[in-house]
Order: sequence, then C-alpha cells, then structure tokens
Amino acid sequence: MGTAAVVGVGHTQFGQRSDMTLAELAWHAIKEALQDAGITQRDVDYVVTSNVGGWSSEPLPAILVNEYSGLGDVGVMRVEAACASGSAAIRAAYNAVASREAEIALAVGVEKMTESPTLQAVELLGRAGNFFWEFEQFGLTFPAYYALYATAYINQYGAKEEDLAAVAVKNHFYGSLNSLAHFQKKISIEDVMSSRYIAWPLKLYDCSPITDGAAAVVIASEDMARKLTDTPVWIRGIGVASDTSNLSRRQNFLGLASTVKAADEAYRKAGIDKTEAVRRLDLAEVHDCFTIAEILAYEDLGFVGRGEGYALAREGETYKGGLIPVNLDGGLKAKGHPIGATGVSMAVEAVKQLRQQNAKARQADIKNGYALTHNVGGTGHYAYVTIYSLNRPTQS
Amino acid sequence: MSFRIRIPSIWRAKRFLYRLEGYRCSRCGEFHTHSRYVCRRCRSRELTLERLPTRVRLVDYTVVHQATRNNEDNLPFIVGLVETPDGVKILGQITDCEPEDLAPGMELETTFRRIGVDGDANIIVYGYKFRPEIH
Repeated sequence: MGTAAVVGVGHTQFGQRSDMTLAELAWHAIKEALQDAGITQRDVDYVVTSNVGGWSSEPLPAILVNEYSGLGDVGVMRVEAACASGSAAIRAAYNAVASREAEIALAVGVEKMTESPTLQAVELLGRAGNFFWEFEQFGLTFPAYYALYATAYINQYGAKEEDLAAVAVKNHFYGSLNSLAHFQKKISIEDVMSSRYIAWPLKLYDCSPITDGAAAVVIASEDMARKLTDTPVWIRGIGVASDTSNLSRRQNFLGLASTVKAADEAYRKAGIDKTEAVRRLDLAEVHDCFTIAEILAYEDLGFVGRGEGYALAREGETYKGGLIPVNLDGGLKAKGHPIGATGVSMAVEAVKQLRQQNAKARQADIKNGYALTHNVGGTGHYAYVTIYSLNRPTQS
Repeated sequence: MSFRIRIPSIWRAKRFLYRLEGYRCSRCGEFHTHSRYVCRRCRSRELTLERLPTRVRLVDYTVVHQATRNNEDNLPFIVGLVETPDGVKILGQITDCEPEDLAPGMELETTFRRIGVDGDANIIVYGYKFRPEIH
C-alpha cells in the first residue's frame, strides 16, 4: 500500500438546514474542500458518500450528490456504518488512493435528519441495534442503549450524574466558540442536571441533537499531495472493528470492545504505543453521542485506566491545556450529529487543528503533530479510530 | 411510512417470547433465543430445546422516559438486562414496581404480559416481562 494524505477539507454550517436539499448541502462542503485543495471536480477519480438516510427521502444519495456537484461519471458508492458511516467513507476513499486505484478520492458525509418529525427520527435511531429483540419488544431507544452503559458504569465506579454533565458543559463551551456548531451557547452543570430524563440516568442535555449538515475531505496520493500543498495531513492508521447486534451478548457494559480493538489497530499502524498515546496526541475527536460515551472513550482509547475516565471529566483534564484536549469543536453534543456527516466532520476538525487554522480560543497546541478521531456506529456496533499526522509515515 | 412488525415475525419468536424457550448448544453451552442449525460460538450442530429458569438476577436497567408510538402509552417504563443462574443474559421490560424498588443483583421472576399493540389493526403482542418477587 502507498501513502495518502488529506489535502482539502470542507464543512457546512450544522443545524436545522431547511434552506437546502441534501445535494445542495453536500455540494457546499465539496466546493469548499475542492477549493481548499486547489483542484476542480475534473481532478477527482473516485467518490465515496456517507449517508444513513431514512429520515430523508433519497435512496441513491451518492448519485444525486455526484450529479449535482458536477463530479461527472467517475466511480461512486454510498457507505453505511450507522453513526460511523463518515469514517467508513474516509477509509474507503483512503484505500482507493493507498492501493493506487485513484490519485485523488473524495469522501463526503451528508445527512438531513430534520426532514422527518423528531419522533420518527428517534424511532429510526432506536431501530439501529437489534430491531426485533430490543426496540420493538422492549421499547429500548438509542439513548436507552447508552443508559444501560451509564448505569453499569456508575454502579461499578461510583461516578455521579454530575460527572457526565461535565462532559456536556465542556463540549457546549467549545461549541460556543465554533461558528459552524449547531448549538453555540454555554451551559452549566445545573442546566444539565435540571433537564428532563430521556432514559435514566441520561437527561436531555446528555444527548447529542438531531442535526443537518455535510462535510468533505479530499484524499490524495503522496506524489499528488506534494504537488498540491506544503502541509499534507497524512492518514497514519485506520483501525476498524465491530460488535454484536444484540446488547445482551456484550461481555460487559463498562466500555466498547469494538473501540478498544479499533484503537489498538490504529495505534499499531501509526507506530504509537497505546500507553504513551496521551503524550503523543495533540488532541482527540471522540464520539460523544451521549456524555457517557465520551467517558467510555477516554478509557477505551487508553487515555486513562479503567474507572478513571469520569475523574478526567470532573477535573476538566480534557479542556485545552489539560491532559489531552477532546472535542474542541463542541463534539457531537454541541456541534451536532448529522449521522452520516459526523465522521467526516471529525476528520475536517482534526486536519484544521493540525494546520492550526482554528480561532485561538479553541486551537490546540500542536507539539507532536498527531490527532486522533474516534467514531462509533450504533452502541459500539461499528468502531473506527483514525490517526492523522503532519509527519509522513516512514517507509515500510 | 409504517415501521410496524408483522405477525410472522412474532410467530417465529413465539417460543422464546411466550415461554422463554431457546436452543442450548450441548457441546459448549451457548444459549440462543432463536432456532438455529449451528451454534454461533462453537459451530456444533447439537442444539437442544431448553426453557430458561423463571428466576433471574438483575444486572443493569434504565428508565425510558421518551419512546416512540408503540410504547407511548406505558411511559415511563423500565427495561432491564437480567442474567440467569448459568449466565445467560437477556433483555426485557420490568413491571409491577417503581424504579426505586430496584437494585443491581436483586432477584426477579418472569411473568407473562401484554407487551403492546402492533400495526394498523392493533394486533396485541404478548410476551415475557420481569418483576420483583412477591412475598
């Protein structure tokens, strides 16, 4: 396999985007990514579109987006890995370039969730598990799946609901500094604690919102990347794993086994010792669909040991300047979670952070030139961990 | 768009849904809630019908406060993960109690209940739920 780098990124405003169709929304992200890379549609050899759909009515979103965006007759496919679809698209685009099938590939994530009423979107999310045995018979919703993890974690380690709330407060703080975020308002622990229960112990402010948005990245071969930019962001390692559809077959509810496996693979490929990860990475984008998910991620990704994640949140160690800055764009919680766009949005943020293109208040200090993205589909059903770096991989 | 299940999907699951009967691998002991030809863990073909014990232990639970159409009438409701004495974990609703009455580790018994209604014809779906033991 050859090497590949991100050479262009684009990102729309996240929020309720009733002003645009799905294809228009995708195009706005694509246009920005192409301009950022200094190329046109004609330079793109292959396109992968991430879209989960259901709430929006387009069954062939990849074709629609390609035609609207003037990408011509190049090869294209749509990928689905639930909330990790965006990272699946990046992996497919990366593989096309690294295997030398394509010189330049485009990964696009787009989702229009507000096309459907909220309860229908909630229902569709709840079906993202083992439909018959969890959703239909027992009424488990998507927040309820993660609530089972939250109660298990709280019972095992003595974490408090306030510790989960601290994650929401942090991510809303950074959302308030990100002009592309769905929610740009700071909140307090009290705001979280007084919000209504959705699935005990998770409250409204523990949950990420239903959001529309799109993001795009241009991935190029090494030769092409050198021609296009002097700051390519190399894809140094992608780890991918999965887990059982039915939660009752999970080993325990204190972490996501798929994240651990994906992280181990990504660290190994990037040449990072997992126990050193927290010192090698300048920042991380983790999958905070619910506050508990961010705490589990701290442990599954090896930032801290088992049972220590909630203390990291409580002590503010994942703010800028702490042990490791996490979700400086507001995360899924405040930036929003347009399912198919989320993984690509994480990549855009990782690249902009490494290039130091963010407003100072939410720009991480880039010392080693490494960033990690962690993208989960369902309740750990799919997991993708990707490591980006300013440092070119050494030849293997 | 309708997302309701249909009668055949309930019919296929009736052994487990009505009687907690599933298929146990005679070689490795793995329990399956649906009929299978091959064990999902060890690939053995020796599977025998078995009824789970009616007393289980509560592992973990949540209280659902926001649900979709088919469960809206019951809000809020409790969904628990329970474990049989030999380690089979299953999910189910917990009834006849308040969330405050529950604690991980406590014993529950199975009961046969109306789960909800399905489809435009409002077909009644029955199945198992769990409840604290009545002394």
